[in-house]
Amino acid sequence: MFDISLHLLDLLENAADAGARNVALEITEDPSADSLTVSVSDDGRGMTSDEVRRALDPFYSSKPKKVGLGLPMAALAARMAGGEVSLDSAPGKGTTVKVCFRLSHIDRQPLGDLGGTLVAFLAGHAGVRLTFRYKGPGGHEFSFDSAEGTSGADASRSQIAFLSWAEDKIRAGLAVAGFAPDRGGIGVEVHRGS
Amino acid sequence: MKSIEDLERVKKETLEEIGLRQSSGRPRVVVGMGTCGIAAGARETMLAIIDELKKRRKIDVSVSETGCIGLCAKEPIVEVEVPGEQKVVYGNVDPNKARQIVASHLVNQRPVQDWIINVRKSE
Repeated sequence: MFDISLHLLDLLENAADAGARNVALEITEDPSADSLTVSVSDDGRGMTSDEVRRALDPFYSSKPKKVGLGLPMAALAARMAGGEVSLDSAPGKGTTVKVCFRLSHIDRQPLGDLGGTLVAFLAGHAGVRLTFRYKGPGGHEFSFDSAEGTSGADASRSQIAFLSWAEDKIRAGLAVAGFAPDRGGIGVEVHRGS
Repeated sequence: MKSIEDLERVKKETLEEIGLRQSSGRPRVVVGMGTCGIAAGARETMLAIIDELKKRRKIDVSVSETGCIGLCAKEPIVEVEVPGEQKVVYGNVDPNKARQIVASHLVNQRPVQDWIINVRKSE
């Protein structure tokens, strides 16, 4: 996975798999602190302390398979960029996954197609309410709440009409907030261009 | 929330909300969105399907996703289910193939034989 938005899609999928009804994604780019922080919070079933301890093991999964690569790969991307992953979870309380990167690190992956990630997630999880907040490098913010597109007069719109509305709103909002999908570390740019 | 009645009301509202945007006798497209699918490009495949359906407003199709089905080498995997017909599973579906599957299978009812990796009975 070559950009952060793909890791985020994987983390969002984990949240939905955990039975979450509400998922919150927050992304903050803070040049003054040289940090990029992304967090995914859900109200799913949560994890025991033993599951939290093993969550970053690529050969552990709570699903009936032998591997679970999503979180370990996100953690690897973070460590390559001078960052770290932290997990806060308890059974019945949901889970928060926080991934930090050094914003200017040479190996920091670009954010990628964040709009595409959110739309793909919404397409697959009609019953999940997704809230999203992005704080850009210039301090501009953009917020999105999927419930806005499914309430009142909009409740009867088709799935495709809903996704179209969501995509337009997210892409326009991100552009205004100064979001740049290709802005990453120098090493990543060289790698992508080679 | 203070009573069973409140809980029942929330349940009813939520089920209605989900029902509005979920399949009910409509054709259904399911994209594999496990870690393997995402790494292989399932997001772009999903976006191409949505975009193609957007252009063809006359067909009413439900789009959904699933996790890893254990055939990671064939990701991105797309399953097409038309009511009354067998489920068709396509493998290695890039965005271009996804658009052709929408046009050929969902619009013209002609599955794209070359990309099928499995056919099974609908549940």
